[in-house]
Amino acid sequence: MGSPDVGAELILRPEGEIKLETSGVNLFYDGFQALREVSVAVPARRITALIGPSGCGKSSFLRCLNRMNDLIDGARVVGDVLLDGNSIYDRATDVAELRKRVGMVFQAPNPFPMSIYDNVAYGPRLHGTRGREKLDEIVESSLRGAALWDEVKDGLRKSALDLSGGQQQRLSIARVLAVEPEVLLMDEPCSALDPTATFRIEELMLELMERYTIVIVTHNMYQASRVSQYTGFFLLGELIEYGVTTQIFENPKDRRTDDYVRGRFG
Amino acid sequence: MRTVQRLRPRATQAVVFAGLWAAAAVVVLPVVGILALMFIRGGRALSWELLSSAEEGLLPAIVGTMCLVALTALIAAPLGIAAAVYLSEYARSGPLVRLIRLAIVNLAGVPSVVYGLFGLGLFVMLLAFGRCLLAGACTLALLVLPLVITASEEALRQVPGRLREASFGLGATRWQTVRRVVLPNALPGMMTGLILSVGRAAGETAPILFTAAFISLTKPFPSSALDPIEALPFKLYYMATEAHGVSEEVKWATAAALVMLVLAMNLAAVVIRARLRGARRW
Ligand SMILES: Nc1ncnc2c1ncn2[C@@H]1O[C@H](COP(=O)(O)OP(=O)(O)O)[C@@H](O)[C@H]1O
Ligand SMILES: [Mg+2]
Repeated sequence: MGSPDVGAELILRPEGEIKLETSGVNLFYDGFQALREVSVAVPARRITALIGPSGCGKSSFLRCLNRMNDLIDGARVVGDVLLDGNSIYDRATDVAELRKRVGMVFQAPNPFPMSIYDNVAYGPRLHGTRGREKLDEIVESSLRGAALWDEVKDGLRKSALDLSGGQQQRLSIARVLAVEPEVLLMDEPCSALDPTATFRIEELMLELMERYTIVIVTHNMYQASRVSQYTGFFLLGELIEYGVTTQIFENPKDRRTDDYVRGRFG
Repeated sequence: MRTVQRLRPRATQAVVFAGLWAAAAVVVLPVVGILALMFIRGGRALSWELLSSAEEGLLPAIVGTMCLVALTALIAAPLGIAAAVYLSEYARSGPLVRLIRLAIVNLAGVPSVVYGLFGLGLFVMLLAFGRCLLAGACTLALLVLPLVITASEEALRQVPGRLREASFGLGATRWQTVRRVVLPNALPGMMTGLILSVGRAAGETAPILFTAAFISLTKPFPSSALDPIEALPFKLYYMATEAHGVSEEVKWATAAALVMLVLAMNLAAVVIRARLRGARRW
């Protein structure tokens, strides 16, 4: 970033391959501006955590990255997001294809009211995978990938609604893995879960990191420091500081980041 | 200064409860009263023979009403559900949608005799269906369309938004989301709304008066949708106003048959709803 902006040094540009990059993203909900000039580079096959007080725009930002905000009446994005260097807000972008590449795990587990099997097979079927054997294979590998296979392999035909909250959240992850995304966006995936289930999901993220680029929004700063390599701090719709996780937590450059990670507000 | 002694909470509770109970009773009483009256006055005439006989009995009218109801549902369901899906899943809020909603509300307020005249003009005359089952069903379908749309929209609203999000998040298009997630989960609610709506249509006289109904002397059952039909509400209207030599008892029995038919449909709707509600927890 060539400009002599004072804020510029607070936003690190990670080394190595960049998977996702936003440049000057602003988000408006009707008249209300929820994001201001957010520019950040997300490294490939790493976990990037987004932290900040409630209502600062973390979820809104995440939803800009796979255009889920398109679904909200009155939401408008100004600025650009590049996936592998290509604009996802380009007119030619196939939004469904984009969301297949950039998968999302939501805050509350949201299994479809169908069987476990059909939940996982939902995505592949959408994208044209047919044939019993192929689907069986995808369902198994996705459930294994989400560390859920051993618990459900004898009851794949049971309703997904009968699973526990933690299992449902891992099912949501399996469901996303089944469409073979490149990026996983996770919006406070553990906020509805107990500590044991949270631990399992965190372990899982570290495993998934080998193959996927992960962006996780979290309210829990311990979680951010445990799982992520890079951390961004949001406040009132602005990205205040972005850098290596240990630096953000141990040696933040901005006063406001310091206050937040020491628990002085939010 | 406290001149007015305030009621203690418990006393207030009792008064409120009594008031609410009375209000509920006022709703129930007429229903029970009407049913009792019909069965007391018409009960003796209400025999299997009356219901099942084609010449002397009500069978042609019962069959006619059932045909009307079925065809009405068949016409109104796809139109109403499609409109509801458009309005609540596709359309962005704007002047056009507001206009459509305004039209629906107003359509629901149009008196049924106006539908009857409109049906006469459009289906019977302009489209030259003639007075027949099809024209009557089309007219009734228009009449219930606002109800079907409203009920279907309500059923769509019951499907949690997070299921749509999950589907879109997996790369589904809007249509895939509607077809695979939204509709299957909204369909039970839509069916309930549909049955209740056409149940209302079953009892309507004015819309079929000019478009479909007749009193048959020679041909009690329609052989195609282009034949006129007998119908319970019309038969009742005819008996009460023009027919001579029909006993009071038979008139009451006819009314009872009509009410029972409508009640049976409502009951079916309630049962379907209860069943499916039991089966679903999200
Ligand atoms: N759909 C929406 N319509 C209008 N305002 C919204 C909407 N979603 C979020 N907001 C507002 O945008 C701001 C950021 O919200 P959000 O991104 O959910 O914050 P966070 O995830 O950091 O808690 C909040 O002030 C919130 O009220
Ligand atoms: Mg949020």
